[in-house]
Amino acid sequence: MPTERIELPQGTLDLLILRTLALGPQHGWAISERVQQISDDVLRIQQGSLYPALHRLERRGWIKAKWGASENNRRAKYYELTRTGQKQLATEQDAWEKLTAAVAQVLRAV
Amino acid sequence: MLSDLYIRLRSIFRRAKVEEELDDELRFHQEQQADKYIQAGLSREEALRRVRLDFGGHEQVKEDCRDARGISFLESLAHDLRYGLRMLAKSPAFTAVIVLTLALGIGANSAIFTLVDAVMLRSIPVRAPQQLVVAQWSARKSPKALGMSSFGDCAHNHEGTIGCSLPYPLFQEIQSQKKVFADAMAFAGPSQMDLSGNATATIAQGELVSGSYFQTLGVSPALGRTLTPDDEKPGAPAVVVLDYGYWQRTFAGSPAALGRTIRLNNAVFTIIGVAEPGFARLTPGKSVDLWVSLSQARSLGKQWTRRSSPDNWWLVVVGRLQSGVSRAQAQAALQPIFANEVLHGAKPHWGEADDPRLLFLPAQQALTGIRNLYGEPLLLLMAAVGLILLIACANVAGLMLARAASREREMAVRLAIGAARRRLIRQLLTESILLSFIGAALGALLAPLAVSALAAFFSKNSWLPLQLDLHIDLLVLLFTIGAALLTGIGFGLAPALRGSRTSLTIHLKGAGTTSAAGHGRGRTPGLGGALVVLQVALSMVMLTGAGLLVRTLDNLRSIHAGFDTRNLILFEMSPQLAGYKDQQVTILYANLQKRMASLPGVTGVSYASDALLDGGLSSDSVKIEGRADKNAVNVQMLSVGPDYFATMKIPLLDGRLLSNSDTTRTKHAVVNRIFVQKYLAGRNPLGLHFGGDRPDDPQWEIVGVVGDTKYETLRSEDAPTAYMPLASDGATFAVRTALAPASLMPAIRNVVNSVDANLPVVRMRTQSDSINRLLFSERLMARLLGLFAAVGLLLASIGLYGLLAYEVERRTREIGIRTALGAQRGTIWSMVVRRGILLVTFGAAAGCAAAFGVTRLLASLLYAVRPTDPVTFALTAGLLLIVGILACSLPARRASRVDPMTALRCE
Repeated sequence: MPTERIELPQGTLDLLILRTLALGPQHGWAISERVQQISDDVLRIQQGSLYPALHRLERRGWIKAKWGASENNRRAKYYELTRTGQKQLATEQDAWEKLTAAVAQVLRAV
Repeated sequence: MLSDLYIRLRSIFRRAKVEEELDDELRFHQEQQADKYIQAGLSREEALRRVRLDFGGHEQVKEDCRDARGISFLESLAHDLRYGLRMLAKSPAFTAVIVLTLALGIGANSAIFTLVDAVMLRSIPVRAPQQLVVAQWSARKSPKALGMSSFGDCAHNHEGTIGCSLPYPLFQEIQSQKKVFADAMAFAGPSQMDLSGNATATIAQGELVSGSYFQTLGVSPALGRTLTPDDEKPGAPAVVVLDYGYWQRTFAGSPAALGRTIRLNNAVFTIIGVAEPGFARLTPGKSVDLWVSLSQARSLGKQWTRRSSPDNWWLVVVGRLQSGVSRAQAQAALQPIFANEVLHGAKPHWGEADDPRLLFLPAQQALTGIRNLYGEPLLLLMAAVGLILLIACANVAGLMLARAASREREMAVRLAIGAARRRLIRQLLTESILLSFIGAALGALLAPLAVSALAAFFSKNSWLPLQLDLHIDLLVLLFTIGAALLTGIGFGLAPALRGSRTSLTIHLKGAGTTSAAGHGRGRTPGLGGALVVLQVALSMVMLTGAGLLVRTLDNLRSIHAGFDTRNLILFEMSPQLAGYKDQQVTILYANLQKRMASLPGVTGVSYASDALLDGGLSSDSVKIEGRADKNAVNVQMLSVGPDYFATMKIPLLDGRLLSNSDTTRTKHAVVNRIFVQKYLAGRNPLGLHFGGDRPDDPQWEIVGVVGDTKYETLRSEDAPTAYMPLASDGATFAVRTALAPASLMPAIRNVVNSVDANLPVVRMRTQSDSINRLLFSERLMARLLGLFAAVGLLLASIGLYGLLAYEVERRTREIGIRTALGAQRGTIWSMVVRRGILLVTFGAAAGCAAAFGVTRLLASLLYAVRPTDPVTFALTAGLLLIVGILACSLPARRASRVDPMTALRCE
């Protein structure tokens, strides 16, 4: 495929999942599609890491899951953000922005 | 976190459901993705192929998800357990041997620990026992000018410089310190009381207690009421509270017992209540049947109960501390009162320099009871069963090692397909812990049998009825589980580590089974050999201990007691408690003596104030006429009835024996040989006098000299003893029989009953029973150590046999080649036996060294044999060698019979 891909830095996957779910409950496939779309195909989440991440976040209590019907009326597992998940998202997003801003600043200055 | 816990628990208990959901979720994803590819124009087949490529290993993702959910540990544990059970079921004989060995080891430990728990650890079954303290005095010297009685509640020392018997006034002082003590009580006993008015006359263990006894302990009635302080007031009606167990046994648990009257030592008492069933004991091991108020001491005819005299120290005082008050504060409050009383009272018991102190000890620690007697043997037994468990561990470890070797291929395969070594170790450890838990479960089933057998042995050899609360409590359970866990790790760790270190290449090449360890000894036998050495060494320690005790028992039993200890029946009676006075007692005894002597099979009957070799002793300090040294000396005393020396077969050496006409009034006495030798050497003792040094003390004239006898115990040296006629007191009858003593016991009982049905016959036994009781600790230890040593030896021989058999099997090819090259059968045989003997020799040497250090612990039980007795050590080592050679001979024979053709063909 022609599009240039970037490997996800360590720890950003959780942040991307949380951010995506902040828009509303989604199933796993939609999460990976959404990230791919929004990032113009630059970020693509490997399914092999998506689902373990979802289960990990669920265990931590940041997201919760329930079964529902998908757009094409199939049974799908929907994840949504919990209250602690929202707080966690805010903290992580804040940290991320600070980090990228600082990195950008250093890169520009040198 | 709650969600964490929920998800973990769900993973365990709804495993199938969770797995299904995971599958559904992943399948949904794949279908969505496939749909997307199809919409983009790919064929269905191509789309599915792409999805599979994208997705990677479906199982791998699932595994990662499981990990993410944190279920892997518990789930793989369940998996390991299932796998372990399958492996164990695959080799049932191997499993059975290991489980039995472990059941033996763990069961023995649980059994002894149950006893240790009951005797030494369990807390007093009353409300908040940690608040209870016992008053104990100590000083540099033993107190003077006071009478003291104690009932074995507390520990004593030989010098008599500590004790917990106190006088009544001091109890009142302690009770009145309301700032320090919420409450306090005192008790004395239990002592034997004649109980009549309920079926046949019996003996009950009655305790005299203060009215505050039950309220201080926080013990409620199961029926009626318990004693209250009002019951102790002068003129209060005579009432009695029954022990729950006694009420069940004697009154069949009937509520009608309430309000009934019984006679205790001929005085009438009304039953007012039954104590709650949980109150099994206060002092460990002491059995109490009933409680009466201290103020009834006089009506019970107890001579040692001059109740309120400050120089009669007869009560154990127990206080319940006010909350927030420490023992030190209690001591500080009572010490001045105590010191003032004992230093400056009407009759001072100590001088300032003796530093008398009053301490308050935790009741749990101070009330030792049978701990005094059984504590040390029990701890030694605990150590011994610990050794048994170690031997069992080493034995099982050896078996596991051999099996680990035969499973090397399985391990290699599992390593090759990617299992982590850690995972293999865990699998193997799970198997061994599983084994040890199965063993522990079986052991826990067997333990109660051993416990009741031991408890029966304890009771049979106890002077007083013994109360052991032997229910399995949480502590015993935890102990057993802990022992099982440690055992499982203990015998499983080495084989597991070794198993996981399997070399991949050798085994996968298929060479592993016969030749990997074929040349030389390989790695297994090194560790296996060490395990056998350990087993032999530990067995050696046990065997040596058992050997020393057997020699001790031999030595003790071959001591000449100075009288004929065979065919002698002893029993006691206290007619004065049943109302007999002075002359009536003498007439009763003469009557009984005559009637019993006429029984067929009885060759002699007499009585004395005490039994010889029964653990009791009375002595007095006397001055002896004609002795150069005018100081009083200590002399053992025994008051005897007519025909005593003839009945006991104690020889007359000089002068004459006491006759029927000798009474306490004639002041004639007989002394023993050593009395003369020690105090009247070179003089004619006949006609000389001895007696107490107060003017009104009787002076006895020596009319005869008899042979020496043992008195208190077999171990005590023959000591100067004086025999005088018995006054009208309680007595121990001695009946010499020509038949087996047990067969005459009912007839003797009948004689007493026919003379007076209200006279209980107490503690009827043979002289041999009494001696056996004296040797209780030695016999207990000799028997059990002997048993344990036999078990240890058996295990060690199985271990040795197993190791050699395994080695021979592994070296079949090598042996075959040797035989083919011309080695003689004898050479092969001795090659195997030599290895066995080497291991046993190492083990015996190590065992000798260990035993050398350990047998000191038995020193207090040994008699006329040193803990390092070379004969015992040599015999034990010899026995080990013989058993060792026997254990090797079977595998050696098999090795020497190896047929070179078969051995080489099987490659």
